[in-house]
Amino acid sequence: MLMAAAVQAPVSMGIFPQDNGLGWILQLIWIVFFVVFMFYGQRIQMTIMLREIASSLYKLRLMRDKGRSIAISTIKELGNPNDDPTPRVDRFLEHIYIPPVSLDPVGIIQRLEHIIDVRDLRFKGDVKAMAPQADETQIDNLTMVLEVALDLNQIYKIIRHFYLQGKKTLSIYTVMQLQMILPIVMKQSEALANALRALTLGQPIGDGAGCLVAGRLMYGSEKREIAKDIVVSDVMIEGRKAYVLKAKGPGGNVGKPGEAIKRILEENEGKVSFIILIDAALKLEGEKVGEVAEGIGVAIGPAGLVDKYKVEEIATKYKVPLNAIVIKEDIGDAYSTMRKEIIDGAEIAVERIKQLIQERTKEGDTVIVAGIGNTMGVGQ
Amino acid sequence: MSRPPREMPAARRIPSIFMILVFVMLILSAAALYQVIEAYRSTRTLDLANIVLSLSAIAISVYMFFQLRAKPLKLGFEIKEVLTTVECPKCGHKNTREFTSGDFIFKELEPCEKCNENKMISSIYLKPEEKQKKRKKTPF
Repeated sequence: MLMAAAVQAPVSMGIFPQDNGLGWILQLIWIVFFVVFMFYGQRIQMTIMLREIASSLYKLRLMRDKGRSIAISTIKELGNPNDDPTPRVDRFLEHIYIPPVSLDPVGIIQRLEHIIDVRDLRFKGDVKAMAPQADETQIDNLTMVLEVALDLNQIYKIIRHFYLQGKKTLSIYTVMQLQMILPIVMKQSEALANALRALTLGQPIGDGAGCLVAGRLMYGSEKREIAKDIVVSDVMIEGRKAYVLKAKGPGGNVGKPGEAIKRILEENEGKVSFIILIDAALKLEGEKVGEVAEGIGVAIGPAGLVDKYKVEEIATKYKVPLNAIVIKEDIGDAYSTMRKEIIDGAEIAVERIKQLIQERTKEGDTVIVAGIGNTMGVGQ
Repeated sequence: MSRPPREMPAARRIPSIFMILVFVMLILSAAALYQVIEAYRSTRTLDLANIVLSLSAIAISVYMFFQLRAKPLKLGFEIKEVLTTVECPKCGHKNTREFTSGDFIFKELEPCEKCNENKMISSIYLKPEEKQKKRKKTPF
């Protein structure tokens, strides 16, 4: 009898005792909880994910609005327009870009180049109309400010589209994919927001690391414009004749380095023993900002596909070795004001170029050194 | 040139449901603590477990309240301090100052006080943060 009571005691006095009213209520709550989670677990999970996305979307909307207002105020400040530029800016922010058809890839690079050229001309024309008093450098910078504001607007609209679509269709797969890519999207958007500040003030950005290296090598020597927005200088490095080129600064420009290298090679009938391209490159997690790495190939980012193609084509035609030097940085650093580590990395890169030229070429040879990237805030 | 004024970061959007939850939790935990005190007054037995639980709930709700209020929403538009290094290419004399509008790298400036050669801007960079958060080191 005593033993039976001792055995029964833990059951009746457990977490959910069943011998009183409270026990039954707790049992019922537990069952309801179980049933709700069994049938509506996915829906609850989706609601939580949608809440997270909505919170990021709110942040993206703030970024978009702030970007727009910065663009408008900068245009008003630098361009002294006669009328309010707001309607023009709003029209600009809705600009769309249609890439060339890739079903038939023959001649796609030429078509892509044509579309990019037309887009650039159109953008600069629009900016000139918005800011009639701005000088050439300011026009370049304002164009970049508007492009960044346009990107922020596009990102916001795309994320909003998938958020609303996921909400409407109640598709957990749409919502899940969106939630998975959201951290990267937010990082890129923050980088663009950072860029906007640097661009309005004309400060050098991380992407200009290659231009900084070329600028160091060509400083003090005579320059000439060899291709659209590209300047070149004939410099003697370790007894070799070096054509050092970079985008024309200090306005926000990338120029056409591919066209410039092509022209130099054709001018010299291919008698160039070495091409070195220096660019900023995205670092992998764990790598340090400002680290310098060497390699083979054309160090031009995905935004410069046309130039990359041109350099590869002309170098292959004349069998000129292609060398790359990259300065590592985070995506946030690439668009924001240059960090001290990148400046230090540029100094290391200058020494590496000299070393490379000394080791791989003979005295009297001709080499091409191209600094790639956006030359905002970097003169020559 | 004057520096642009520092802007306040955008206010963080706090869902009102969170604020209500935090307040309800605070009130309930305070009520629980009051009940424990009342029980102690009448029975003279101290329910330590309940005291610990209600005090922890009060601490958590106060912490959550400050966490919700303290964090402003950072959008990335905040103005950071930028430095300009001016250098004489001949004698190497260097000095660093705050960035002013119109500065760019390789810009020629006034003659050097020491050798009369024109000075130039050698670098423009973000002021390195002095206090860096100590991150937990990974073996990689």
